[in-house]
Amino acid sequence: MSRIMITGMGVISAIGTTLKENRDSLINERGGITQLEFYPTAYAGRLPCGEIKISSAALHKSLFTYPDPTITRSGLLVLHAAEEAIKDSGLTQEQLASTDTALVGATTVGGMCLTDELFSDAHEKISGSPYTSSYDCASITLVAQKRFGILGEINTINTACSSSANAILYGARLIRQGFARRAIVGGADSLAKFTINGFNALNILSYGLCAPFDRDRRGLNLGEGAAFLVLEKEEDVNGKKIYAELSGYGNSNDAFHPSSISLEGEGPYLSMKEALERAKLNAGDIGYINAHGTGTENNDETESVSMQRLFGTPPPFASTKSFTGHTLGASGAIEAVYSVMGLAHQELYPSLQFREPIPATGFIPVKHYRKQAFQHIMSNSFGFGGNCSTLIFSKP
Amino acid sequence: MLYIHKSACFSAQQTYSETDLSVITESKDNRLKVKEPVYTDIPPGTLRRMGKAVRMSVGSALPLLKEFPQPDGIIIGTANGGMEDCIKFLNQIIEYREGLLTPGNFVQSTSNAPAAQIAMITKNKKYNNTHTHRGLAFENALLDAFMLLKENPDRTYLLGSVDEISDYNFNIDRLDGCFRDEIVSNKQLFDHPAAGTIAGEGSLMMIVSGQPSGAFAAVDALQTIHTTDERLVLKTLFEFLHKNGFPAVAPDLLITGENGDARLEKYYRNAESLVPRGTAIARFKHLSGEYSTASSFGFWLATEILRTGKIPEIVLKKSGKTDIRKILIYNNYRGLQHAFVLLSAR
Amino acid sequence: METVQLKQQVKEQIVKFLNLTTVQPHDIKDEEPLFGEGLGLDSIDSIELIVMLSREYGIEIQDPKEGRKILVNVNTMVDYIEKNRTK
Repeated sequence: MSRIMITGMGVISAIGTTLKENRDSLINERGGITQLEFYPTAYAGRLPCGEIKISSAALHKSLFTYPDPTITRSGLLVLHAAEEAIKDSGLTQEQLASTDTALVGATTVGGMCLTDELFSDAHEKISGSPYTSSYDCASITLVAQKRFGILGEINTINTACSSSANAILYGARLIRQGFARRAIVGGADSLAKFTINGFNALNILSYGLCAPFDRDRRGLNLGEGAAFLVLEKEEDVNGKKIYAELSGYGNSNDAFHPSSISLEGEGPYLSMKEALERAKLNAGDIGYINAHGTGTENNDETESVSMQRLFGTPPPFASTKSFTGHTLGASGAIEAVYSVMGLAHQELYPSLQFREPIPATGFIPVKHYRKQAFQHIMSNSFGFGGNCSTLIFSKP
Repeated sequence: MLYIHKSACFSAQQTYSETDLSVITESKDNRLKVKEPVYTDIPPGTLRRMGKAVRMSVGSALPLLKEFPQPDGIIIGTANGGMEDCIKFLNQIIEYREGLLTPGNFVQSTSNAPAAQIAMITKNKKYNNTHTHRGLAFENALLDAFMLLKENPDRTYLLGSVDEISDYNFNIDRLDGCFRDEIVSNKQLFDHPAAGTIAGEGSLMMIVSGQPSGAFAAVDALQTIHTTDERLVLKTLFEFLHKNGFPAVAPDLLITGENGDARLEKYYRNAESLVPRGTAIARFKHLSGEYSTASSFGFWLATEILRTGKIPEIVLKKSGKTDIRKILIYNNYRGLQHAFVLLSAR
Repeated sequence: METVQLKQQVKEQIVKFLNLTTVQPHDIKDEEPLFGEGLGLDSIDSIELIVMLSREYGIEIQDPKEGRKILVNVNTMVDYIEKNRTK
């Protein structure tokens, strides 16, 4: 079976618009969760979010010579991150336009960031907004299909907060099973009244900065962003730069509750275990875990329990959601990029705002940036509906 | 190879429990709605929160899972999931000006709710995925299962698709130009092609595995492409058929997603011209209506024809071969998303 | 409003708000637990009921844990509504 290599990456989040900017923020422990400046909601000034401080109009201008009135902010974030990834891996125009290049996107909100326009179009009787084909999940992938002229297999996945982790493993499987030679995989979500109000109604948003794995954590902060990775077969790489190998992945369902994880962390445990088996690694081989770590009472406790079950004492771990906020459908891909970046540079990124450990496990995340030699990194994503996914990246 | 062992199809027509396509239900206001059965298998405490899409998918899946209680995963294609719940939550946001809101609709509206609910009710902790790629959501779910079975033929999966019509997404898609402006009956859908078609909804659930024993149909191959260039579609279909043994092996029946929308006629005519003269041609959107995962109705129809050996009169566009062993399905969603699927009898 | 009438009204509101299709208002006993055993409601229902108390009776409950003490059964709900309603 071919080894799947990562040859390019792109990312935009509240802590930077490029790979380099994101890494600088992680190294310098500069979080991006602040009060809202751009997104119009009744919660502006009250609920801090990981907002990208660039207006949609400015993003649009940076990407289009001729404006495309149908494109949403989520679509713009996709194009921004996918362009960086494609450029980074040096994919040619011919490769993009061939039928053996796949594109797999992921999102939870899609174009519904335009909550008010959607409301109006759903009730309007005579004429619609320019966005009538831009609300669904697929719309964010289709903008990239159109821009890059990709003719291979194209898909959009929505498994809530694990969406883009599943996009990454689906892309790897397309390559392994011969449905593509290379795959551009990732996800995007932008802030939306839909999610701000939805998570708020569930009482899981924090009105302060989120504190993953802290005893007194009060909930999550929402964020926005996008990240894409280019996956290629080892034999096709031909001397190009290789960041890492996607050596393992797992997908399982917690089958417990629509919006919370079982107390014994069954789904998280099973997906981590499957990923290890697939990578043919032991728990002790993992050098760092980029945890799901949303900062909610339920997630951090059950995730800690599942790590305890699998690792006994876990390796160094942290949640970079303390920098970016929870970017939902984008989080799996953004954190995959951070994981690969950390592995390539042999460095560990910390969890911000942590003070006291959760009594049940006493686990303390990485609190400060540090250099460290390690071979394998695990990245976890767990979502509503019990959808749990785990990725493992290894030094090539 | 992906083998189909059992299926359940909810549609506007009589396709559930006893299939009968001799009498067809007529569309109303350009919509073909599913008549839901009484859901005896869904726990009432769970049923009360479900929107129609979740209800239909869970309701069609649970009877299959009685016979195959723990498949190795649940794979569902849905473009919109619970659209009605989604807009209901939006209505709350607007009505209460982002004040205190109830989260029920929000939780139910996520696209992965159907696969998640089935997993929860049946305690299935295995592989679970939801494909939402609009007109190819079902095909991507199919490809997902196809790849998993290629990797390990001993496995069994619950594979399906679901989408609902709510007033809301009907409005949005109508504004986007998907549906006819004037009212047209599904019985006359193909009589006068014009821009637009009629809306539909439905759910298909299947038990699939990599083992032929006990199966009634198999998927040999599938491919998709995104383009509006009809010559490129034709070229891709031509190459797809040749990769799969054409012309020595040719489909006995072509099922197309023709939907009365004049703008898509050229694509379907091209496909019809590519298959041999003796190939029978069938269509189905006058029975299902058009929706993002309507191609799954065509897929169900293909498996029924392979299972029973009979082509229902109502779907036949052009008669040809009557001994149907191989079927090609070509579906086109809004001129951009094209799918080719080859099935064969067991 | 008399307590008896209020109880009836609250039962009707619970059925309507939670879309309890298989339960009639008069099926709910005053002292029957709403969560776990009894009606078998869950954490999402508890949030829905807190929203109901706000919309119907103008009662603001900030801490969901506090809510659990109020939402034990119909009696505890009615008792709290009588003491705290603002509309």
